[in-house]
Amino acid sequence: MARMKFYCDAERCIECNGCVTACKNENEVPWGVNRRRVVTIKDGEPGERSLSVACMHCSDAPCAAVCPVDCFYTTADGVVLHDKDICIGCGYCFYACPFGAPQFPEDGAFASRGKMDKCTFCAGGPEEDHSHEEYSKYGANRLAEGKLPLCAEMCSTKALLAGDANVVSNIYRERVINRGASVLNRGVSYQNASLRQTRGMEGKASNKK
Amino acid sequence: MRRALIPHKGYGIGDDWVFYLLILIMLSPLLVMSTASAESGKNTQPIQIPNPSADLWREVRQRDAIAVGNSQVKSADSGVLINPYGDKWRNFRMTQLIPYGGYLLAGMLLLLIIFFIVRGRIKVVSGMSDKKLFRYSLYERTIHWCLAAIFLFLAFTGLILLFGRSLLIPIVGQEFFSLLASASKEGHNLFGPLFAVALVLVFFRFVRRNIYQKGDLTWLLKGGGLIGKGHVPSNFFNMGEKSMFWMLVLVGGVIVGSGLVLVFPVFGQGRVLMELSHVSHGITTLVMIVVIMGHIYIGSVGMEGALDGMTTGYCDLNWAKEHHEQWAELCEEQNEVIMEDEVSRLQGDTKANSMPSSLTQETGQ
Repeated sequence: MARMKFYCDAERCIECNGCVTACKNENEVPWGVNRRRVVTIKDGEPGERSLSVACMHCSDAPCAAVCPVDCFYTTADGVVLHDKDICIGCGYCFYACPFGAPQFPEDGAFASRGKMDKCTFCAGGPEEDHSHEEYSKYGANRLAEGKLPLCAEMCSTKALLAGDANVVSNIYRERVINRGASVLNRGVSYQNASLRQTRGMEGKASNKK
Repeated sequence: MRRALIPHKGYGIGDDWVFYLLILIMLSPLLVMSTASAESGKNTQPIQIPNPSADLWREVRQRDAIAVGNSQVKSADSGVLINPYGDKWRNFRMTQLIPYGGYLLAGMLLLLIIFFIVRGRIKVVSGMSDKKLFRYSLYERTIHWCLAAIFLFLAFTGLILLFGRSLLIPIVGQEFFSLLASASKEGHNLFGPLFAVALVLVFFRFVRRNIYQKGDLTWLLKGGGLIGKGHVPSNFFNMGEKSMFWMLVLVGGVIVGSGLVLVFPVFGQGRVLMELSHVSHGITTLVMIVVIMGHIYIGSVGMEGALDGMTTGYCDLNWAKEHHEQWAELCEEQNEVIMEDEVSRLQGDTKANSMPSSLTQETGQ
């Protein structure tokens, strides 16, 4: 089986929030919950970068380790899922997760936490595939239909990649190699790169004599 | 940093060495430090193109401090890409809090069992008398048992959440345990704030009698009479009870404070604060449970006559003389000793008038 991973390319992400909207619409997530978010660092400054973050489906998931009721499981595809019938909404996964993926709808008298909701890699939950219960609790199960998560499918700049880890890393590796070459040849992709040019390799095509 | 000052127009004009030289001359005051090494190494050293975003990713990885970004999804900490303290919290909970907490509780239980076997029930040496002293008013007993009941409930529900996964799931199964843990969580959250209320009431009612006095040091040096024989004189509360009271107040204060941070996640408090609160909540509650285990032991099976004051309101005169000598002597001086058959009549009065005789009130204070 494949090992599913997300990868967001910060050199491509334009902070359009299309992935956030796509996820929310596809999965009918609870009110006040966003399974995915786009974070912009150095917003408005030189060197600004944006990244789309959701559950990273860790191999050694901290959420699963600390859960007091042991409601997490990893599918054969390497997708970390949880059982909302078991979840008690304690919030421990939220403390442990480095990425802030687990989200909680407000519930009860003191607006305490309801059952946790997080990105499922569009793989539904423990219920029967495509059943009504599965959709109402966990959202779409696109993986069972042979499709990838909608956030990545919708990404207009193909910054957000989802799929088998080997395929994703191969695509990214190609991009990095191409970028490295373009830095050497044209100095466009990385800021300041042309200052490190060596003699004989420098210059844009239009500058060539 | 200096290199960023060169305008973008200057990119890719390596052949145009006159212009290049001009820039160098213009910026020479700035470049004085770096030029020499950069120029000499330019043609000999291998091409090095470090990722210029490296500094950025180092910040994101939060090596030094938490770098916060900006997100259109507005919620607590939504701008933090990676929170490295989550993993520290996980390690603390899984490799320290759960195992060492378990050893601590099991150790204390074992210690109490061994102590009971070795020392046995501490008897009133001169035997129980037919005379009584008034010790705790109805109000005092009520707030004590309120605090005790809430504490026990919170302790058990908390321990279920802490140790249930490793101890209870193998026995009762995941689904039943989920039900139990869910009820524990809701109950813990509901009664937590009430613990704070009961703690405040107990604090104001008992604080005056718990201020350390002369003689407390002697009590400590003699081991409170637990070790060896002979009783150490003390006032209404002995040094051990006073220390337990102050532990209850100080540790209890930390428990209440950290608990309130955790129980209402709606004020936008961040994860780091919650993780710290959880760590202090875990440590302090375990300390408190251990101390209260000792308190329960000495108040019930550990000592004859110790429970009476907190259940009936009256304690035995001989017990008082042996464990709270100064207080017992004071009561005798003030002629506050009550015969046993009178107690039942007074208790009837207590129910009717809600307050016992006035002289006993003074001792209570």
